[in-house]
Amino acid sequence: MDDWRFEPARDVGLTEPQRWRSLRRESGLVSTAIHIVWWAFIRTYLALWHRLRIVGRENLPSRLPFVLVANHASHLDALVLAAPLPWWLRDRIFPIAAGDVFFEVPAIAAFAALAVNALPMWRKNCGPQALRELRKRLADEPCAYILFPEGGRSRDGQIRPFKSGLGMLVAGTDVPVVPCHLQGCFAALRAGSKLPRPMPIELRVGPALCFTNAPNERGGWEEIAAALRKAIEQLKDSGS
Amino acid sequence: MSPAAREQFFGVQHAFDHPLTLWTTIGLTVVLAAVPLVIFALARTQLIDAKLRYELFQRYYSWLVMVPLMLVPVLLGAFWTILFICGLSLLCYREYARATGLFREKLISLLVVAGIIGLNFAVLDNWYRLFVALTPLFVALIAAVAVLEDRPKGYIQRVALGVLGLLLFGTCLSHLGYFANDSNYRPVLIFLVLAVEANDVFAYIVGKSLGSRKLLPNTSPKKTLAGALGAVVLTTILVVALGQFLYPQSYLDTHGVSRWTELRYLTTLGIVVSVVGQLGDLVLSSIKRDLGLKDMGGTIPGHGGLLDRFDSLILVAPAAFHYANYFAGIGIDQPAKVFTGG
Repeated sequence: MDDWRFEPARDVGLTEPQRWRSLRRESGLVSTAIHIVWWAFIRTYLALWHRLRIVGRENLPSRLPFVLVANHASHLDALVLAAPLPWWLRDRIFPIAAGDVFFEVPAIAAFAALAVNALPMWRKNCGPQALRELRKRLADEPCAYILFPEGGRSRDGQIRPFKSGLGMLVAGTDVPVVPCHLQGCFAALRAGSKLPRPMPIELRVGPALCFTNAPNERGGWEEIAAALRKAIEQLKDSGS
Repeated sequence: MSPAAREQFFGVQHAFDHPLTLWTTIGLTVVLAAVPLVIFALARTQLIDAKLRYELFQRYYSWLVMVPLMLVPVLLGAFWTILFICGLSLLCYREYARATGLFREKLISLLVVAGIIGLNFAVLDNWYRLFVALTPLFVALIAAVAVLEDRPKGYIQRVALGVLGLLLFGTCLSHLGYFANDSNYRPVLIFLVLAVEANDVFAYIVGKSLGSRKLLPNTSPKKTLAGALGAVVLTTILVVALGQFLYPQSYLDTHGVSRWTELRYLTTLGIVVSVVGQLGDLVLSSIKRDLGLKDMGGTIPGHGGLLDRFDSLILVAPAAFHYANYFAGIGIDQPAKVFTGG
C-alpha cells in the first residue's frame, strides 16, 4: 500500500497542446471519462465489425506494469491490443504511437491523447532521451505500454525487422513483456486504405517474457528484440 | 420559470441600467485600448527594454481576453454569470487537484466536482437552504466514500485535500455567484471584482516602491508590510469612492441608511476586501510553497495558472457576501427556487 505523497501531476505547468504531446501526461477526470467511453465503443466495434477472437487471454497480465508488443500492419493494431484490457487500467495503458502521424496536427493530437491515451514517439529523431523517459516512467509508476518493435506498419503483411529501441525500455528490469500476434488487421485496414473492411481479426497472446538478466546495452537490446520476434513468429505459426 | 426570474437570468436589455456598470465598461474599454499605446510610447522613449515590453504585452493580451470573458457574462444576465463562475470554479479545482496530486484519487475528485456543480445549481436556483446544506453533506459524503476504498493509509490526507478543494472552489467561490441573485448584481459584482483586482495591483506597486520589511518572507518573499498596508489604505479609498455610486439616494432613504452609516459600511467593506484579498493571495502562496511549485499551471500566459490570478477572489467572495447579506440581504427580492419550484 502506497503512502500518500503530495506529488503534482508530472505535466503540471504545461499548456494543453503541450500536455497532449508530453510523455509525462497524466489523465484527469475528463480524459478518464473520455477513455472509458472511447474504449467501450472500440470493444463493441471490434466485436461486431471484426468479430474479434482472442486466443490465450489468460496470458494477459492483470497487474501493472507490463508491455504488450505485437506485429504491426494496421492502424487497428493498437486498438485491438488495448481493447481486451480491463477498464480500470485505461488511464495507465499507453499505446506508443508515431509522433509524425498522430501528434503533429493539434486536433489529431488531442484525440490521440484524450481518447486513445497514446504517447508520441518521434521516429525521425527518436532520441534515446525519449526512450529513457519512457523507461523511467515504467519504473516509477504502475503503467503499461503497447508498442510495435517494427517501428512502422508493414506494407505487405509480412513481419519486418525489429528495432532494438524496445530493449532500452525493459532490459535489466522485471517488467513482463507479453508477445502478441495480430492476424487479419492487414486485410481489414492496410496502410493506404481509408475505411476498415469487415474482416475477422484474431489476437493471439503468448506467455510473458522477462529480461531481468539482459544487460542494458546494445547487445542486450538486440537479444531482447530477437527473443520477442521469435516468440511472435511462433504465435503466428501456432495458428496456421 | 417566472417572468421575473427570466428577466434576472437573461435580461440583457438591463445591462446598462446602472450608471456604474456603464461607466466601468466604458472605462475598461478605454484602458484596454490605451495600454498598448502606452507600452509603445514607453518602449519608444527607451524607458523599458525589449524583454520587459514583451512581458508587458503578454500580460496585456491575457487581460485583453480575461476582461471581456468576465465582463460579458455579467452584462448578459445572472444565468451566464453563475454559469461562468461555475466553470471558473471547476477549472480552479482542476489546477488545484493536478498540483496537489489529488486528481489521482478519481472518486474523491468526482465528488468534489459534483459538489461544485451542486452548489452552483443551488445558486442558480436561488435556494439558499440547499446552498447551505450542500457543503456539510458533501464533506460527509467525501469522508464516507473514501472509507469504502479500504485504504486507510493516507486517508486523512486524501479526505482533507478533497474537503479543502470543495470548500475553497465550491463553497467559497460560489458565494461570488450568489451575488448574481440580487436585482442590483451587475454593479455590485463589477465593483467587487474591480476592488479585488485593484487591491492586488496596489499591493504590488506600493510594495515595489517603498518598504523593506517583509510581510511573511517564508511564504512570499517579495511581499512587504508597506505594500500590504498601502493596499489596505488605497483599496479602502477606492471602495468608498466607487461605493458611493452603488445605491441611489432613494434606496438609502427608503432603507433608513444615512450617508454617514453608508460611509462606515463602505470603509469596513474596503478593509475587509483588502485584508481578506491579500490573505487569499497568501493562502495560494502557501499551497505553492508547500508543493514546491512556482505557478499553479500554464493556463494564462504571463500570469501562470488561473489560480495565480483569481486567488484573492476566493476568500473575498464569502466574506463580502456575508457582510453584505448581514446588512442588506442578497437575493431576497428575487424569486427563490427558480427551477425546483417553491
